[in-house]
Amino acid sequence: MAVEHATLGILVLTLCMLLPVWVGIRRTRQGHQLFVRRIKAVDAVDEACGRAAEMGRPVSFSSGLTGISPVLYACLGVLFHVAKKAATFRSKLLVPQNDAQVLAVTEDVVRDAYRESGRLSSFDPKQIQFLSDEQFAFAAGYMGLVQRERIGSAFLLGNFAAESLMLAEAGQQMGAMQIAGTVNPEQVPFFICTCDYTMIGEELFGASAYLTREPVQLGSLYGQDRAKLMWLVLILAGTLVATWNSMGEVLGWPVIPNLEQLIIWKAW
Amino acid sequence: MRQRLIRIVTFIGGLYFFLRFVLPGDINGFQFARYNHEITNGFRAIGALTFGLGLINILLVHGSRLLFRRKGWFTSAALLFGLAFMLTVTIGEWLASARAAADADRLVMLREFAARIVADEKAGDSDPPYATRVALLLKNATLEVERVDQAARRENPAGDSAVMRGLRTELHAKINGLRGGLETISAGTAGPEALLPLAQQLSDVAATYRGILIEQHRAAVVSKLYTLLSDGLFMALGTAMFSLLAFYIASAAYRAFRIKSAESALMMTTALIVMLGQIPFGLWLWDGFPDVRMWLLTTPSTAARRAIEIGAAVAGLIMAFRMWFSVETQSFSRGER
Repeated sequence: MAVEHATLGILVLTLCMLLPVWVGIRRTRQGHQLFVRRIKAVDAVDEACGRAAEMGRPVSFSSGLTGISPVLYACLGVLFHVAKKAATFRSKLLVPQNDAQVLAVTEDVVRDAYRESGRLSSFDPKQIQFLSDEQFAFAAGYMGLVQRERIGSAFLLGNFAAESLMLAEAGQQMGAMQIAGTVNPEQVPFFICTCDYTMIGEELFGASAYLTREPVQLGSLYGQDRAKLMWLVLILAGTLVATWNSMGEVLGWPVIPNLEQLIIWKAW
Repeated sequence: MRQRLIRIVTFIGGLYFFLRFVLPGDINGFQFARYNHEITNGFRAIGALTFGLGLINILLVHGSRLLFRRKGWFTSAALLFGLAFMLTVTIGEWLASARAAADADRLVMLREFAARIVADEKAGDSDPPYATRVALLLKNATLEVERVDQAARRENPAGDSAVMRGLRTELHAKINGLRGGLETISAGTAGPEALLPLAQQLSDVAATYRGILIEQHRAAVVSKLYTLLSDGLFMALGTAMFSLLAFYIASAAYRAFRIKSAESALMMTTALIVMLGQIPFGLWLWDGFPDVRMWLLTTPSTAARRAIEIGAAVAGLIMAFRMWFSVETQSFSRGER
């Protein structure tokens, strides 16, 4: 059942999730060191860039079918880092795209990364290629690109659908080191089978913070974990209340209002 | 200045959508989302502007490769030719279908005009006078009927289909009926009740004429080319790509089923049980496999899936807030532009 969202309860809940983020960003800006657990897939990003450079083969970075969304911004954080590494190692970076809006944003991010590496003159806008906005035409274009350019390392981060396995298999056939990450649970097994490293769900959002050690990103990662803790407590409380109420029906215990009723508290 | 402007616009946009989400639809008669449709369309229009970027990028990447005869120039030439051809055919098809729709709409407009005359007369609105409007309606309806009759008589040189012949006969009968209706109505004496059957006849003729136009449009070269390229080529190629997935799944499954560790052994066992629960052979071995399969899918698998989804949703929400307050942009562009 869908929960009514235009309520004071939802507003309070949203603000409660934001509070730890604000605290986290403040703390990191004040110089507090925050621990971020190691994620193998993120550790391997530099290795993948280095491997492609050693082999003298290009690096590819695809955000799949991701449109302009928070997931894209999580991917752009990693792209920024990969583009900097590619610029430093003088590797060719290819960014195939399927969305014209994303193309514009991506081009800006890659240009920024080259500028920050001091190699802006090496940046070529043609590195960011628009293939097609049709799912399988994009997949066919990507597979062709990987084969023609003999990709050394491939990054597949973002939203993917049925084409995920095709993209990953194309890299696998070329012997490329592949790092994938998606928030789509259906595609995770395909990536685990085919890629060397896989970021599952929110790890993709943490990757950028881990790589850049930016106070804003680290702080929000800290806040995000606290927000999830809050959800965990809510889930446990909800489970206990539901169990109590269902047992209460048999044993005659008093009924506790469930959490959904509290959240959809219509104070407006 | 540019950065500041972007941040202000982003903040206002984010604030609007956030408030639209948490505020009720009606606050003491004030509807916050009253202009939501217009605002959303505005954002869509801005998004549509980037369509040209994709086209420019393709022309830039493949045009330069073709121009300087770089490696793979032949495939670039094929792509550019395909793009230009598909674009031409699509525009041609769109124009032809728009022309056909506009052609039939003229009759529909006359029907609406008749209905409006009746409504105005009943409401006592007599500016311009009723008789003048009826005379105008009759004159235009007569002209339009003759035009439609002439247009519908144009036969396909390659011969008409059975559907087309049926439509022509039907239209001819309806036009004759409409002509009879027009002859019986006089601008000076006809009352509003006499216009209603006329409006209905106009509507009937428009519907059949639209059917003829659609059939003519389907028989046109540009339409056939479009169908060939779209349904015969584009969709078929997409389906062929999708069918490749079956082979890739087999290849990925082979890799997944190699037992290299305790985790892969667990995954292999689970996959085997799920497969046996799905096929009749499994049922023949043990009738409990479907229940175990269902439990695996609905309990441990759903729990893991929800954990991924909740984690990603919370992280996405926080990322969205960072974007809203333009905190995120600082991470990408620390250097001077």
